Amino acid sequence: MATVAQPQRVPTVDDLRVKLCYICREEERFDNPEDPPRAWTHPCSCTLVAHESCLLQWIKAAQQDPGKANNALKCPQCGATYELESENPRILRFLNAFNDALSTAGKVVTVVGIVSLATSFGFTIYVVATSYGAFAVKEFLGEEMYNLLLTDEPSNWPWHAFIHLPIIPFSLILSRTRLFDSFPLVPLFLTWSSSPPVRTSSSSIASPSSRWRSSSSAWPQGSSSPFTSPIAWPPTPFMAMVFLPFIRIAYRRLFNTLTKYVMGTLPESAGGAAGPIRRVVLALGEEGPGPLRVHIGANIQQVNPQDAEGGAQAQQQGNEGDDNVAAAERTLRVTTSSLGRFIGGALLIPTISARMGSLLYRLSKHSSWLRAFLAIRDHPAPPAPAIRLYDGPPGSNAGLLKQVGSGMVAGLHIMAGGTPTWNAADPVWWRNAVGLGLFVVAKDCVRLLHLYLTKRELESRKVKSRSFAGVDIRELDLIDQPLHPETAGAGAGQGAPSVPADVPAV
Amino acid sequence: MAVSTRRLQKELADIKRDGTPVGITLLSAEDFATWYLSVEVLGNTVYEGEKFALKFRFDGQYPISAPAVQFVVDDTYQAPVHPHVYSNGHICASILGSEWSPVLSVVSVCVTIQSMLASCKVRPAIPYPRVRGRSEH
Repeated sequence: MATVAQPQRVPTVDDLRVKLCYICREEERFDNPEDPPRAWTHPCSCTLVAHESCLLQWIKAAQQDPGKANNALKCPQCGATYELESENPRILRFLNAFNDALSTAGKVVTVVGIVSLATSFGFTIYVVATSYGAFAVKEFLGEEMYNLLLTDEPSNWPWHAFIHLPIIPFSLILSRTRLFDSFPLVPLFLTWSSSPPVRTSSSSIASPSSRWRSSSSAWPQGSSSPFTSPIAWPPTPFMAMVFLPFIRIAYRRLFNTLTKYVMGTLPESAGGAAGPIRRVVLALGEEGPGPLRVHIGANIQQVNPQDAEGGAQAQQQGNEGDDNVAAAERTLRVTTSSLGRFIGGALLIPTISARMGSLLYRLSKHSSWLRAFLAIRDHPAPPAPAIRLYDGPPGSNAGLLKQVGSGMVAGLHIMAGGTPTWNAADPVWWRNAVGLGLFVVAKDCVRLLHLYLTKRELESRKVKSRSFAGVDIRELDLIDQPLHPETAGAGAGQGAPSVPADVPAV
Repeated sequence: MAVSTRRLQKELADIKRDGTPVGITLLSAEDFATWYLSVEVLGNTVYEGEKFALKFRFDGQYPISAPAVQFVVDDTYQAPVHPHVYSNGHICASILGSEWSPVLSVVSVCVTIQSMLASCKVRPAIPYPRVRGRSEH
């Protein structure tokens, strides 16, 4: 009788002869089962088997570790995903989902909270900076121009004021560093010398402006163009800004020559010889301003200048010796005092220039030359005519090219010559700028004097020498030995005149 | 007895019975907390002739938790100069972090590190100093 072939049954984990748990490496033979029996599982498509409890422990631990969580349910050898079954009633799923939703909400709250904190901080800084900017403009341009351009009411300000004003304090501070010099203030003056005056209901030039508007249809008598010539005095802020870097370089060269003559050495911040500042040492805990550092060195005499006005003590120490070495290692030492002097000095610039300007104004009462230089008018200027863009009567059709051309001409005139309104006002800013320049020169001279005197003090130092009074004479190895140690000792104690002639006087 | 002890006992018994692969030897396994093994890379490799030592540290959850493995740096042994090995002996390897699984063992980790060294074609000029805060890659 032929045997009927049994249909092949697919084996499972329980059909193995020996089961080896890949996690705990324990073996179990089929004929020697454990007591009590432990569940085994073959969860994937390769031959790895494990105790169910070992595998569950591994899965639980891996899911809790954020690094391993992705691999928790994957077989390490064949990559097949493990399938779990558990009692997962709807309420549990709901609670988990709810928990996850709360976590996401928490993340959102954190991000939004931090962003709004940062924003409100930034806004506060913005408000402070803008107020300072308005104050600075008032000081520097004088009250009349301030009321023309800005007025105290922020609602009157042109849109670009809200961009330029907060930049002012930062550009003032940056202008004292080597990086920026005068650059940041340029856009400021560019826009403003060409912006229209603020229309307010109660501005100080209300009556002139109404007269101005009514005469807009007529040409002013005796002038062929409504613009002032670009070569005007005082120069417009635009022109001044254009020439400022050159003036600054020329002044610096001149002053370096003077320093060289006085101190016998070049200051370190001379021209381009200064290397980049490699290290900024924040030494905020240091005491006091510290003395000026004057090196009287072997090869190169280097003097540490005090950079910029207001006496910032950003002391820069170079190394003696090689230019390469000096360029390579420049440290900028920032102390509590140097930081304060630097920033405080920068923020005082508008006030200083205003004071100097008013000083010059008072001085100019005694000198007509000064009055001419500062362009102080003895009588108020006639009201400024409106700016016309076209040649010819209004309403005439001008070709496109002509329009573009006259627009460009107008722009150039405004940039170089300033708007007529600007020119009609008292040029406070000009004498303030001149005053500031004078202040800088004076400050540099005072600093140079300070350095020179310090250097002189260092060079003139001597150490006072004392006699050997009070020292036991037997410890001294004198050229002429005293005759009687006791009397000589007593004699020495009494001072020079009573010492015997052969004891050398000290 | 902790889970780690049983498993490490088994691994030790396997090593004693079957020996270790070529280039790897067991230096010390005094307790079930710290083991030392030596690794040499054979053949014509960048590390020819150099012998390194690995220090394994196990906690009570091994093999659920990964062992802490680093090269020994002392008077006798130096860390290999390798892109994934820092000068203090720390090793940057996924199997010691996110890719760890209990299917691996002490010997298999040594073999993996051995092949990591062998596969390095160009020896970096200077060893990477260990910088505080550097994350695993």
